[in-house]
Amino acid sequence: MNWLTLVVLPGAGIALLVVLARGLGFNAQPKLASAAEAGTIAHDALMGFHADAVALAADARAALVAGRDGRIALVRPHGDRWIVRVANGAKVDRAGDTLTVTIAEPMFEPVALQLADAAGWAARMEARP
Amino acid sequence: MKLPDPVQMAVPFFILLIIVEMVAVKRGARGAYDWRDSAASLTMGLGSTLAGLLSAGIVVALAYWFWAHRLFDIPIAWWSGVLCFVIDDFAYYVFHRSAHRVRWFWASHVIHHSSQHYNLSTALRQPWTSFVSLGFLFRLPLFFIGFPPALVFFCAALNLVYQFWIHTEVVKRLPWGLESVLNTPSHHRVHHGTNPRYLDRNYAGVFIVWDRWLGSFEPEHDDEPVRYGIVKNLPTFNPLWTAFHEWIGIAKDVWNAPSWKARWMYVAGPPGWTPDGSRDTADVIRAAWEMEQQAAE
Repeated sequence: MNWLTLVVLPGAGIALLVVLARGLGFNAQPKLASAAEAGTIAHDALMGFHADAVALAADARAALVAGRDGRIALVRPHGDRWIVRVANGAKVDRAGDTLTVTIAEPMFEPVALQLADAAGWAARMEARP
Repeated sequence: MKLPDPVQMAVPFFILLIIVEMVAVKRGARGAYDWRDSAASLTMGLGSTLAGLLSAGIVVALAYWFWAHRLFDIPIAWWSGVLCFVIDDFAYYVFHRSAHRVRWFWASHVIHHSSQHYNLSTALRQPWTSFVSLGFLFRLPLFFIGFPPALVFFCAALNLVYQFWIHTEVVKRLPWGLESVLNTPSHHRVHHGTNPRYLDRNYAGVFIVWDRWLGSFEPEHDDEPVRYGIVKNLPTFNPLWTAFHEWIGIAKDVWNAPSWKARWMYVAGPPGWTPDGSRDTADVIRAAWEMEQQAAE
């Protein structure tokens, strides 16, 4: 056992696989196909969550989903998959029709959503469920 | 008798099989890859190997201490190898079940479940803190019974190598009744699921019979695709956060706990436990889902 077998060779193997994965096109940037899809993703991620209204971002790369119980789910991409968080009480900055939602969680990057009713959704998120 | 290290021998095949699976998926086989996810998984695997070396001396010393106080003298032979492999697999089942039911153990094991993908690279997504979460304790009884440490470590390594290939969506079901006896890609897909039906099921390493016997078995339902990951999926591919996020969560919870009982439960209770029920354990999620199912019928 030495640094060659412990680190260098495995490191080279990892680099090979990662480059190959990228080269084969496994680097999708997902988009939400519809409001219904955003609702389903939120439903699957949050216990007892049932979508009532959905606001898809203009680029379909994120969404806000209002639940029947008052919770607002933020749906945003993570790699080629999706991440969901309850966004009630999150920090929300509005600039025109763009909302920037900042969840108080380490490593969770702020999410910008261009929405038709940005002001309305900002107000919804201020409310606690 | 010196036994070979099956893991070291298998590493080139791991890499080769990942390449084969990637190409198969690219050509239309069932499954998915994301280069960022695979990079995180493989980095976690390398880190796990290095971290394991740091603690190996203590684990081996403990093994020999228990073996020095053994109940029986068991030689290294084909029959003791078979027996050791089966008992070690049961020890793995007990460890694995505990790793999902006790947050201190889960803090390490969660790393393996933190990918939303299920492919051969996921198999290598392993914790860096296994020693801290005391997973090695579950094998100590084997040394105390009298199985030589070299034999136990050999069987444990074989068990690990077996578990690599079942992390795939490419294989649907195994033929010849093997699904009844062995842990298979299908059974282990269920184990990696966050669907309430699949949560905390199929803890087996090699033999699924332990789950069937102890009531933790759930078959894969073709009409309910598995959603992989953890209940609260990680928002980053950062290996450091992946490795330590649950430990940081435990530290914060213990620091802010309202009582000593709550502190104990944050460490030894099930993942998701809180004194006020503001988070959900697997049992709570499953119970809520079952109520919804009953209401819908």
